[in-house]
Amino acid sequence: MLVILRDGRKLHGVLRSYDQFANLVLEDTVERIYHANAFAENWHGLFLIRGENVVLLGEIDLDREDDIPLHQVDYHVLEPYHKQDADLKKEREDAKAHILYEQKGFCKEGGEGDGY
Amino acid sequence: MLPLSLLNAAQNKPMLVELKNGETFNGHLVNCDNFMNITLREVYQTNPDGDRFWKLKECYIRGSTIKYLRVPDTLLDAVKDEQNRAREAGRSARGGSGGGGGGMGSRGGRGGPMRGGRGGRGPIRGGRGRGRGA
Repeated sequence: MLVILRDGRKLHGVLRSYDQFANLVLEDTVERIYHANAFAENWHGLFLIRGENVVLLGEIDLDREDDIPLHQVDYHVLEPYHKQDADLKKEREDAKAHILYEQKGFCKEGGEGDGY
Repeated sequence: MLPLSLLNAAQNKPMLVELKNGETFNGHLVNCDNFMNITLREVYQTNPDGDRFWKLKECYIRGSTIKYLRVPDTLLDAVKDEQNRAREAGRSARGGSGGGGGGMGSRGGRGGPMRGGRGGRGPIRGGRGRGRGA
């Protein structure tokens, strides 16, 4: 299963259980990060995710998973690039929100913001 | 095994709690409730950037602020074993004959007709049981 959280994290794991709030139990979880055509994995293990933070939950076709064109690299190598991407995206979103607020009469978005 | 029952079963186990703001709390679970409010002991708190740390003897976390919890990998197996044992114990206690007349009866299902009482007598609703959830 693939789970995307509101902070933009992408978790891959085996869905063991869920409830009416979409609280999830994920076993053998890895977090995947992407940059350009590379990806990296970071092992986490058993996760209990609070349903509020889930954006998306989807089944992965493990057969098609085998022929993805991305290549895997070491997590520590990719992490700084990924962080840079995330920061850049946040910067852009902040600028966009600022313009919408100042010039277009939109209200400010409350809450924690969405990183996905 | 619902997520919250897993959390209940994790009492006294070490765990990592991340809040929505990115702060993390490492500690042993003391107690929790159905809102996912939890108390931890012997806690190491880190800020969202992970560059500052605090040590707390005990702390309480409101469930609604939690993003996720990381629990020991072995917990799932432990809980499964526990469930199996409980089932075996129940089976041998009831004995081979009869077998308790179906799961619903023995577990006290939600107000089936077998419950008696005021079943199906108009607008009066059963006392407890607001449906699902907390």
